[in-house]
Amino acid sequence: MADDSTASHRRDPIKSSVGNVAAQRRRQNAVTVGKERRESLVRAKRLCRVGATGDGDVPVEENDMMTDEEGFLLDAQTSSAVEELKSAVAYQGKGAMQKRVNALRELRRLLSKSEFPPVEAALKAGAIPLLVQCLSFGSPDEQLLEAAWCLTNIAAGKPEETKALLPALPLLVAHLGEKSSLPVAEQCAWALGNVAGEGEELRNVLLSQGALPPLARMMLPNKGSTVRTAAWALSNLIKGPDPKAATELIKVDGVLDAILRHLRKSDEELATEVAWVVVYLSALSNFATGVLVKSDVLQPLVERLATSNSLQLLIPVLRSLGNLVAGDSHTTSTVLIPGHEITYGVIKVLVKCLKSDHRVLKKEASWVLSNIAAGSIEHKQLIYSSEAVPLLLRLLSTAPFDIRKEVAYVLGNLCVAPTAGEGKPNLINEHLVSLVQRGCLSGFIDLIRSADIEAARLGLQFTELVLRGMPNGDGPKLVEQEDGIDAMERYQFHENEDLRNMANGLVDKYFGEDYGVNE
Amino acid sequence: MEWNAETLQYLSQCFLHTLSPQPEPRRRAESSLSEAADRPNYGLAVLRLVAEPSVDEQIRQAAAVNFKNHLKARWVPSNDPNAGSTFSPILDPEKDQIKALIVSLMLSSTPRIQSQLSEALAVIGKHDFPKSWPTLLPELISSLQKAAQSSDYASINGILGTANSIFKKFRYQYKTNDLLLDLKYCLDNFAAPLLEIFLKTASLIDSTAAAPGGGSPATLRPLFESQRLCCRIFFSLNFQELPEFFEDHMREWMGEFRKYLTTNYPSLESSSDGLALVDELRAAVCENISLYMEKNEEEFQGYLNEFASAVWSLLTNVSQSSSRDKLAVTAMKFLTTVSTSVHHTLFATEGVLPQICQSIVIPNVRLRDEDEELFEMNYIEFIRRDMEGSDLDTRRRIACELLKGIATNYKKQVIDIVSVQIQNLLSSFAANPSANWKDKDCAIYLVVSLATKKAGGTSVSTDLVDVQSFFLSVIVPELQSQDVNGFPMLKAGSLKFFTMFRGLIQKPVAFQLFPDLIRFLGAESNVVHSYAASCIEKLLLVKDEGGKARYTSADITPVVPVLMNNLFNALKFPESEENQYIMKCILRVLAVADISSEIAGPCIVGLTSILNEVCKNPKNPIFNHYLFESVAILVRRACERDTSLISAFEASLFPSLQTILANDVTEFLPYAFQLLAQLVELNKPPISPSYMQIFVLLLSPDSWRRSSNVPALVRLLQAFLQKAPHEINQEGRLNQVLGIFNMLVSSGSTDEQGFYVLNTVIENLEYGVISPYMGNIWNVLFMRLQNNRTVKFQKSLVIFMSLFLVKHGAQNLVDTMNAVQANIFLVILEQFWIPNLKLITGAIELKLTAVASTRLICESPVLLDAAAARVWGKMLDSIVTLLSRPEQDRVEEEPEMPDIAENVGYTATFVKLYNAGKKEDDPLTDVKDPKQFLVASLTKLSAVTPGRYPQIINENLEPANQTALLQLCTTYNCQIV
Repeated sequence: MADDSTASHRRDPIKSSVGNVAAQRRRQNAVTVGKERRESLVRAKRLCRVGATGDGDVPVEENDMMTDEEGFLLDAQTSSAVEELKSAVAYQGKGAMQKRVNALRELRRLLSKSEFPPVEAALKAGAIPLLVQCLSFGSPDEQLLEAAWCLTNIAAGKPEETKALLPALPLLVAHLGEKSSLPVAEQCAWALGNVAGEGEELRNVLLSQGALPPLARMMLPNKGSTVRTAAWALSNLIKGPDPKAATELIKVDGVLDAILRHLRKSDEELATEVAWVVVYLSALSNFATGVLVKSDVLQPLVERLATSNSLQLLIPVLRSLGNLVAGDSHTTSTVLIPGHEITYGVIKVLVKCLKSDHRVLKKEASWVLSNIAAGSIEHKQLIYSSEAVPLLLRLLSTAPFDIRKEVAYVLGNLCVAPTAGEGKPNLINEHLVSLVQRGCLSGFIDLIRSADIEAARLGLQFTELVLRGMPNGDGPKLVEQEDGIDAMERYQFHENEDLRNMANGLVDKYFGEDYGVNE
Repeated sequence: MEWNAETLQYLSQCFLHTLSPQPEPRRRAESSLSEAADRPNYGLAVLRLVAEPSVDEQIRQAAAVNFKNHLKARWVPSNDPNAGSTFSPILDPEKDQIKALIVSLMLSSTPRIQSQLSEALAVIGKHDFPKSWPTLLPELISSLQKAAQSSDYASINGILGTANSIFKKFRYQYKTNDLLLDLKYCLDNFAAPLLEIFLKTASLIDSTAAAPGGGSPATLRPLFESQRLCCRIFFSLNFQELPEFFEDHMREWMGEFRKYLTTNYPSLESSSDGLALVDELRAAVCENISLYMEKNEEEFQGYLNEFASAVWSLLTNVSQSSSRDKLAVTAMKFLTTVSTSVHHTLFATEGVLPQICQSIVIPNVRLRDEDEELFEMNYIEFIRRDMEGSDLDTRRRIACELLKGIATNYKKQVIDIVSVQIQNLLSSFAANPSANWKDKDCAIYLVVSLATKKAGGTSVSTDLVDVQSFFLSVIVPELQSQDVNGFPMLKAGSLKFFTMFRGLIQKPVAFQLFPDLIRFLGAESNVVHSYAASCIEKLLLVKDEGGKARYTSADITPVVPVLMNNLFNALKFPESEENQYIMKCILRVLAVADISSEIAGPCIVGLTSILNEVCKNPKNPIFNHYLFESVAILVRRACERDTSLISAFEASLFPSLQTILANDVTEFLPYAFQLLAQLVELNKPPISPSYMQIFVLLLSPDSWRRSSNVPALVRLLQAFLQKAPHEINQEGRLNQVLGIFNMLVSSGSTDEQGFYVLNTVIENLEYGVISPYMGNIWNVLFMRLQNNRTVKFQKSLVIFMSLFLVKHGAQNLVDTMNAVQANIFLVILEQFWIPNLKLITGAIELKLTAVASTRLICESPVLLDAAAARVWGKMLDSIVTLLSRPEQDRVEEEPEMPDIAENVGYTATFVKLYNAGKKEDDPLTDVKDPKQFLVASLTKLSAVTPGRYPQIINENLEPANQTALLQLCTTYNCQIV
């Protein structure tokens, strides 16, 4: 299957001549240098303090503040626990198994005791080779479980500590299989999830060792805890940037159905984890995006957005929706058709998100709207006549910068008709006139003043629309009233040639002294 | 070039001689070097020479400069056709060796050589980094770490300087995946080492400054420079978005940043250059926190309060000091960013606004010694900043920006406070005008700078004061002051106010002040007489509602003589000899005033004498342009009233024009040709014999070889052909014209100019005159077609044939071509016309070729012949493509031939004289819409033989074009039967 050259659809979103406002779908850049914006609940690495299956026997100490002495003591205890384990592993006599399990349990207790587990001490004492040994085939479940648990918490540590798990990975993967008991498989999945959360390099190791198919199969049943852990581990595993894993995942038999089922029926916690899987599937793989769009996944996403108030759930669901809209034109052209019930549903939930107090929701909802607004005339009219516009207008003048920029893309897109070629787009006069009358121009002119060059370009492009398109030649007067001339003149000597030419061109064309005018 | 003792010796000698004070050996050395530069491995050899310790330092320095320039020109030679002659590029193996050597060489060299090599490295980096130079960053990092271990700050700063220049691209390029990939690569590798060295240096500064006496300046200097470079790199790496690493380590960065804003380093700051060094670091910090404030306000907000108060108190100090500009500007920019952000409520606290106004804005707006110095010493730069918006980074302007920023959310409060301040400043001036004149200047500046700009360049409006009454009470007294030379800066400020608010000052008030404005043309201060001229010029452009000029010729005619007199006199002030503001004012007055012969006489005398002067050494192109425009408008408007004046103008202008032509004043040739064309056009036939001398010049191939001359020459040729067709046809002149055409068209670099000549001839002369020459013309064209057929040439040929056809008929076209060679017409048609037609661009050209092609298939017997049905169909197919598809779908960009300017080596470009101009000629004014022309012609044609053409169309047109043709028929309600 030809699939997934990430370059194909993630090109530079807007052509750079004046006038081509964002009338194209904008996927977020494939490459990010920023921090991944997951909320704290879904951290990439997670410590396992209460057993995965809920039968933890360590009383969790609420007070995590440890004094230096306590830390020192914990390190010392850990070192001796590893020593104990070493002798237990070496011991071949009667009750050897119980001795090993006891030693493992002690080590696990120490590693689960606090928010800051004594990983360094455990590694220094040589825990890894012992734990690998304890994972060998044929070991009793209890032993496997304890060993995997220890590894889980070691893997939750610093990058180099996570990397220390390398020798254990083949066995952890092996224990994911159907022959393992569920608690063991789940604990191994947890450990692997932490490893995958570390970074691209370890993800690639895991993928080459075949971790993906068994994890994927763990998502199929309806066992809450297992599915949750597997989904979380998978979301770490397919994070890319190579889209191959995401494509591979969606191709595993039954995964698509399981995703839909869990999104429809599961509790919010599980739905959250599954939604993160959808986020990465749709962000990375064209193939997966195509499959998802055709599968009716939008329906449950919209329902979740409509009914839930959990921020943790809303964020990945909203982002999934956005990815599906931005990633595949099929979404707007054949699924979200104006007139269909689902389309009204989408607009309604986006309005809800715009109204929310949380800035991530406002920003992402605007981003999704900007992509829908890049669709057909009918899409633009639908948004234009929705409750979204007054909200957007308010956000454009009051919201923080990143939200304003997204909002500006929506409003800009509402004002231009889709065009086939390049050149200047045609205006939708009705929208432009009304939005300008309702005061959006000053927001765009503020963007021109911004240090962010994308935002500045958007501001200039919209200003061009106003200058060109407002009836009775009112454009220049309006731009002038908002001190737009001054804003544009700042680009007279800007280093970005494109912006410089745009701004200078507009000033010359609409505000230039009409030299030799006295004919 | 091989690297051996001999090369070393040779190059050393050459570089030594380039430093010689004697021109002779110096030039010889320079030319030897530029010759050697074409040889492979020259760059490498020079770099080795730079690294050779046995060679004298000054020779190595010269070599380092040469090396940098060599790389600039040849690392990636420009393919811009206007960039001058192309250099042979440096080859890859040599590049690899240079890249392998340069980092370590740079780090081990002396400071002067280091800075050259660092620049050279940046040149390479700009093209090769990171993808084609994967070893650079690792090498820089390991060198950095090594240098850090031994605290070798010469090397550390060299490395940081290099990193800073290669990372700068992240500050202004668009966020594309490619750019982000590069950025990610740089972050993954460099973010951690950067923080490490930044923190290490920070602790060195702390421990050094803690020593008694604050530590030795010599130790501190490189440390501060290092921190500044780290901050600039921080800025580049954070510009696109907030990188994860920086977010994770924000506390470390911000902690140090704050320290530099709040700590004093007395041992450094006691000297002015030491203070400048610390301030540069602080300014870099301010830029970084402004960036965070604007783009990452959510992550930054935890630090906002402490930074806002740090910057505030810093500014309160800095504002009192007359140097420290850069820091004042960046610090005020930070507060401006805060004031327009969601956290603007920091400014809402009681008492904050008045304090900002009092202790930050007003002190920064006040005139400082530097401003006064600039006003006196460099009036052009002063005006550029004061009047023309190049003041983006001056303290005065940025202080006003801060007020504007705060006014975004607190408009009323700002207006109230500033109004009070303005009143205070004015009362202080009133109390003691000569001591406190700067207070008044400050008040005027505030009003002007806080105004909103309006269309028309420099007009404004404001809510701050009542403009009318402010003008009457504050500005008018200055303008009416009898001493034009007293308090020149106040006069300049008042003139600027008048200029800026000209639209709001009622006509009677303004009109009364005209004599005063004219008086100020006599002020000694260059700024003042320039502003007076500018004010008059702008007033004459003011339009009332409905677009009518507010000040008419009737208004100004009484004062024109004295006005002109003063304007010409003002050009005699030292440094105002080429004052463009005055010349522009002359132009404007000539455009508005009634040009009686009493005015025209002195004006032409004045203008020609200036013209003769500037011909000796053209310096200021803007001044010169207005000068030629003034001449052109004077001639045009005076002759409109009184055609008899033409001979007087000719008498005045001819000597000047002849000087330009005879001395080959390149910059002015296009102007001279345009003025001549204007004069020719104003003449009544028969044309004066003196023009025929000039016609000889027109026939000089050299004139045509320069592309900048060609449009003007074409215009002149057109004028001659129209006004003196008979003269052209005498004495073999037409033959000479065609000789020019022949020469130009034979070369690929000048063929366009050749077609200009030919097209002008074909368009303006009767067929009977040109028909004897046609055989020869075709021969020349076919020969060229055989030897060198570029797409550009073929397109020009199609345009020429089309023009010929619409002017002289299809039959003449076919016959003259076939006379050269039997049946060649159809061959040319199939091979060149049909395929190139769809590549034609430009509205006039498109219409011309479409109409000509249409007429060909509807009128020409050759094509109407049944045997030509297929060619007929293909031609129509091409016409439909041309007319139905947007340009970018039809035309593929072809790499342009280098411009001819390049071959001849002149840089003058053609600038059109508006007032000597005429509209571009459309040879086909009777056809408005070529699409309609096509379908109407086809409808008429098909009606004669119903059924014939639909079939040909069906067989020969692409399906898409058949549909398009059908649509055209529907649009114009026509039918092909």
